Amino acid sequence: MDAVTGWWDDYFWGSMIVLQVFFFSLLLMVLFGLIGAAAKLSDNRLAQKIAGAYTVIFRGTPEILVILLLYFGSAITLTAIAQMFDPDIKFIDVPPMWAGTIAIALIVGSYATETFRGAFLGVKPGSIEAARALGMSNLQTFIYIRIPEMWRLALPPFGNHMLSLIKDTALISIIGLNETFFVAKQAIGTTGEPFTMYIVVGCIYLAFSTIITLSVMGMEKFGARTGEGAR
Amino acid sequence: MKFPLLKSLAVGAVALFAAGSVSAETLRVGMECTYAPFNYRTADGELAGYDVDVAKGVAEIIGADLEFVCQQWDGMIPALLANKFDLIVASMSITDTRKEKIDFSGPYRDSVGRLIGKADADWKLFDDSGAPIAENFNGLRVGLERASTYENWFNAKLPGAEIVLYDGSEPLYLDLQNGRVDMIMTNPMKAQLRFLSKEAGNKFGFVSPAISEVEFFGIGVGIGLRQGQDELRERLSAAIRDLINNGSLKEYALKIFPFQIHNDEWGKG
Repeated sequence: MDAVTGWWDDYFWGSMIVLQVFFFSLLLMVLFGLIGAAAKLSDNRLAQKIAGAYTVIFRGTPEILVILLLYFGSAITLTAIAQMFDPDIKFIDVPPMWAGTIAIALIVGSYATETFRGAFLGVKPGSIEAARALGMSNLQTFIYIRIPEMWRLALPPFGNHMLSLIKDTALISIIGLNETFFVAKQAIGTTGEPFTMYIVVGCIYLAFSTIITLSVMGMEKFGARTGEGAR
Repeated sequence: MKFPLLKSLAVGAVALFAAGSVSAETLRVGMECTYAPFNYRTADGELAGYDVDVAKGVAEIIGADLEFVCQQWDGMIPALLANKFDLIVASMSITDTRKEKIDFSGPYRDSVGRLIGKADADWKLFDDSGAPIAENFNGLRVGLERASTYENWFNAKLPGAEIVLYDGSEPLYLDLQNGRVDMIMTNPMKAQLRFLSKEAGNKFGFVSPAISEVEFFGIGVGIGLRQGQDELRERLSAAIRDLINNGSLKEYALKIFPFQIHNDEWGKG
């Protein structure tokens, strides 16, 4: 493990980038998932079609492709649009950090769309009827009845999505983001010790995913304790 | 002005993403940062290597500031075209195929390839004049780096060989040791330093002469830039000629190898 000495700080900063990408893509993923699920469950045909296309495209194409297209495509597209308004603009870039974050969030968000949709459908009709009988508005029903029942149903598959999310962060090294996997590749280039360097990356990801798994377990326990079974 | 609001939005977007805007003084240089000894990062976080030295040397002569961008090899040209950086200084050989997409400065390094295989095996792959014997390559599994000049050479000259493609040179060395490929074709300078001189590589050796056919490997390694920047290209080429003529290029090479890796003729321009 001598070879790793001197690379620890790079691995640390790489891990920080992983966490940063994970955090922001988690927020966006939940947002995309909720919007997608709402669109799929709405009465609006167009919204249904758009959400349907979204899940088909992002669940059906390789993740690495989405990341590359978003990274290279966004800069070219944005530049072209900006030049329509101001020909003096030479170039607009989307930093790799954001291109990667949005790409991963879009991909995992398409899975979350289906998860959330299923969970909303799993809310018991009786609960909704009871809420109506109590005179709750649609918004109140949504906040006090649908969401609390739905998140308990969605939690186990949602835990899987979070694990996908954290592991997908390793893919963004291809667009030059200095995360742990990229640090490993640089370290290998200099030290010529691939196994040691990859094992370090493995341990870092294992640590992250263990934390995620444990927190999902904790939330499941909390959900069961405070949910209907406990009443 | 028809769309004042949209225009101000667009300008705002430019300000938001201003990291990418280009000023005349700063040149962004794309390289792999994992290709020792030509471009790599040391444990201290510094970029080092022959390509890095050349980039710094050229920048000093033309009076530009440098900003290095790390980019994986197979996305190098797309990234240049998408304006992620302005120059490629990444040991990229000047070839006609690449010239269809991008321009190159004059060469600053030799571009050759050599086959590496088991040192004790009795390959009969090349005749006395150094030309490959095509039928003896039939069925041989040869590891190559994706999107490299070696791939084109093999496809054209030795279609009987079975090509296995890899991302980067370290996986090549690994699978040669694993026996998944019979031999690899790669940059001999790098392989000598990174693999053959180490314990892992002691059973392996060069099994071909240095192959440098201009048609496939180009005249050498140059600095890549987007097309339509002839004035910049000329400044870069002139700076490289200066580096050759004042001995800097030789000095960069001698830091790593016991020999120079360019042709002094290139300095005459």
